[in-house]
Amino acid sequence: MKNTLTLLCVLCALVMSSFAQEMPPAPGVPKAVSVPAVQEKKLPNGLTVAVVQKSQVPLVTINLLIRAGASGEDASKAGLADMTASMLTKGTKTRTATQIAEAVEFLGGSISSGAGWNTSFISVTVTSDKVAQAMAILADVVLNPKFDQKEIDLLKSQSLDGLTYNLKQPSFLANYVASKYSFNEHPAGGTPASIGVISRADILKFQQDNYNPANSVLVFAGDISAATSSSLAAKYFAVWGKGKRPIKELRLDRLTKIGSADTSGPRPIVNRFLVVDLPKSGQASVIYAQPINGIGRSDARYFPASVLNSVLGGGYSSRLNQEIRIKRGLSYGAGSSFAWRSWKANFATRTQTKNESAAEVTELVIDELRKLSTTPTAESELIPRKSGLTGPFGLSLETTGGLANAIGELYGFGIPSSALNSYVANVNGVTDAQIKNFALDNLLGGDIVIVGDYSIFRADLAKRFPKMTVDVIKADDLDLSKDNLRK
Amino acid sequence: MRKTLISFTLAAWVLMTLVIAGVAQVKVAPLDIKERTLPNGLKVVSVQDNTSPTAAIHVWYNVGGKNDPQGKSGFAHMFEHMMFKSTKNMPNEKMDRLTEDVGGFNNASTWDDFTNYYEVVPSNYLETLLWAEAERMVNLNVDDKNFASERDVVKEEFRQSVLAQPYGQLFEYVSSLSYTQHPYKRGVIGDLDQLNAATPADAKSFYDLYYRPDNAYLIVVGDFDQAKFDTWTDKYFGRVKRPTASIPRVTIKEPARTKETRYEKTAPNVPFPAVAITYLAPPSKDADIAALRVANKILSGGESSRLYQSLVYKQQIAQEASFNLDNKVDGGLLYFFAIASEGKTGAALEKALLAELALIQTKGITPKELEKAKNQLISDAIESLEDNDGKAIAIERSVAYEGDPKLVNTNVKRLQAVTAADVQRVMKKYFTDTNRVVIHYSNDGGAK
Repeated sequence: MKNTLTLLCVLCALVMSSFAQEMPPAPGVPKAVSVPAVQEKKLPNGLTVAVVQKSQVPLVTINLLIRAGASGEDASKAGLADMTASMLTKGTKTRTATQIAEAVEFLGGSISSGAGWNTSFISVTVTSDKVAQAMAILADVVLNPKFDQKEIDLLKSQSLDGLTYNLKQPSFLANYVASKYSFNEHPAGGTPASIGVISRADILKFQQDNYNPANSVLVFAGDISAATSSSLAAKYFAVWGKGKRPIKELRLDRLTKIGSADTSGPRPIVNRFLVVDLPKSGQASVIYAQPINGIGRSDARYFPASVLNSVLGGGYSSRLNQEIRIKRGLSYGAGSSFAWRSWKANFATRTQTKNESAAEVTELVIDELRKLSTTPTAESELIPRKSGLTGPFGLSLETTGGLANAIGELYGFGIPSSALNSYVANVNGVTDAQIKNFALDNLLGGDIVIVGDYSIFRADLAKRFPKMTVDVIKADDLDLSKDNLRK
Repeated sequence: MRKTLISFTLAAWVLMTLVIAGVAQVKVAPLDIKERTLPNGLKVVSVQDNTSPTAAIHVWYNVGGKNDPQGKSGFAHMFEHMMFKSTKNMPNEKMDRLTEDVGGFNNASTWDDFTNYYEVVPSNYLETLLWAEAERMVNLNVDDKNFASERDVVKEEFRQSVLAQPYGQLFEYVSSLSYTQHPYKRGVIGDLDQLNAATPADAKSFYDLYYRPDNAYLIVVGDFDQAKFDTWTDKYFGRVKRPTASIPRVTIKEPARTKETRYEKTAPNVPFPAVAITYLAPPSKDADIAALRVANKILSGGESSRLYQSLVYKQQIAQEASFNLDNKVDGGLLYFFAIASEGKTGAALEKALLAELALIQTKGITPKELEKAKNQLISDAIESLEDNDGKAIAIERSVAYEGDPKLVNTNVKRLQAVTAADVQRVMKKYFTDTNRVVIHYSNDGGAK
């Protein structure tokens, strides 16, 4: 099958070149992309201040990052870190929620806060003439949050409504289920059950345990000098009391997966099949999910993994999109990603297709994983897919928001900002052997999770995977707080 | 889009195209726009900016969803997908080889009024991309196999953006129920049956009719040498012939509404009731658009805006409430949209939205609200012009909606001139009881 395909493609290329009458003009001499310098300073209270000056556009992004996120909350209180961060802008000792929104928006800016798995953040972007006013508000919400009960109640009901809405979308639901089923985590946005039980005391405790200067970094990116940034940081954040020592990310010891895998014999590509039945769903979402324990964001294998991902599912030209969308028209898009933790990574492929083709798409995903772990990646494919990482990396540094994100991501994992300068070389140094080995060692033995209208793809799935046992849960019966995922 | 489609759009105002000109505090120099027209009618707009070693290339065609052939709605968008397939001198997906593979990106989007194709590449590839864009302007192949496969992709796009989204179908209703005559009623994505009706022969004639130099703009912003750029443009685009046939234009005028019309629609998996209340807007060139943009911010720009404060924060009947200006060349839509909170009804949303409308119509706005809205619009303008691609998009929108790329440089001045009285006047003028369509949307089979 694969050989036939390869032959056909060779033929295609021959046909194409046979009537080509004109070649595209060759590129000119490439110019180097400059990576801006990061200037770093520590305040006496331990707060790290990082500044990247870029003055072409009169904009400044200020991002305060706290090295504590959903990994630091109990699964029964999933969503606590996000709710704590979200509550910062909902009132201080001297400003109401409305006054905070009013003040920032009057500056023409916007303020946002929240938490992911690794970190919590609060971020504001304003024109450079309004930085001082924006800093005053940012500092107030970080240092003096009120955590008013009425505001907590409103945020909780908004979060619950948002979850109800999102859980009707097959892709959201599939990721949500995989977080527990495959990654042994909980969704950072919480579950209906966990949001319900989070109290003001929980929020206060999370803030007191985690929000302290030694555990945080204040990033300035854009039209602002290091000197101005430092003096603003000192003026507003010097009073931030030294808190407890920085916490380390919890190393969850629950490494055994639910319904643990049979590890004897050769490792199958797929360990388990889970279907969440969402009747009348407009499409089916197909995910392959595999946790990679022991390889975290600062591991050198981050680079082979990144290039691997670029080859497999990192862009329009990646293999998954080639096979599923471009060649077969089965989806609007297919891709893959690694979600990095300090000590592990969550690998997943994702695509949405009509319910009728869910099983076919599943088979294609598995084929690509097999190919990646058995066949070396040719240099002719490797070079462009590396450019698919390094090019967008350069482009992302052209906006203040992109710069602040890139720096923030590094600080979130305690990686020195000089990593920005070595990124391109590290990507370009990855070899085909590293990719194949990474795939073989880490990507196999995961789960297929499908969310869709099971009545439509049930027979085809059984036909294509006769040996697999398929676990089926009705969407209405789902409960992520239970080990068997059922209410 | 090839990757995202814009049919109705919030993006219309999110991507608002403004530039600072003589504003009090921060200042941004106006874009230094060079404009010329080739003998074959292609309009070329360029802005040289050597700050970063990249270039953004946009080719804008004056054809969109409104030009879909009769009975084949969704066609213009499906055709856009074909433009990434083979040409005389390029195999399928060559555009990806010339962009993604060298560290850039490409995409395209089909709107009601226009279609754009764009790339951002390292600037040493600019000449290559100019060649490639000229190539697909004139040498596209339409073969049956590609056509069938891309039709399937577009159907998946439809399923993903319309069917698999709880409120996806509501936005299709906003188009289809708001217009009675104008082809805007068909929406850009179309529907599955009409997509099935399209043929490769349709694609060939659509290409011949609309994809031609005198129906396009080439817009390039970034790192280049002006003289070299002009030479390349002449060399690659200059040889594209101008067809003799005239370009068909939509001339249908949407008649003014004479009475309120109400609809109740349902769909599966809709978690909460929602409502959309639409009004016909003036054409995009109308001078009132500036005041409507300001009104948009006051009603809907952030958590201090009127709708958020009233419906989401104080009354807590909505989880989301917005006012949208969906700008279109022949007259777009002004619409309110809200999704209910748990246990609240669509009727309560409608009542509260209309109460906010009545308030702004009768009491007007405060000086502070006006100043805040203008500050927000200025920040939006600066953010939208942060990189080469943002600048190219801004120019393109001025071309699309105002017919003149240089108007990008006066947007902020025009917004600054808006007064509180202007805002109150436009809110009275367009938001009349007879110009109203109300669409209630909920779960089929009752409340969910």
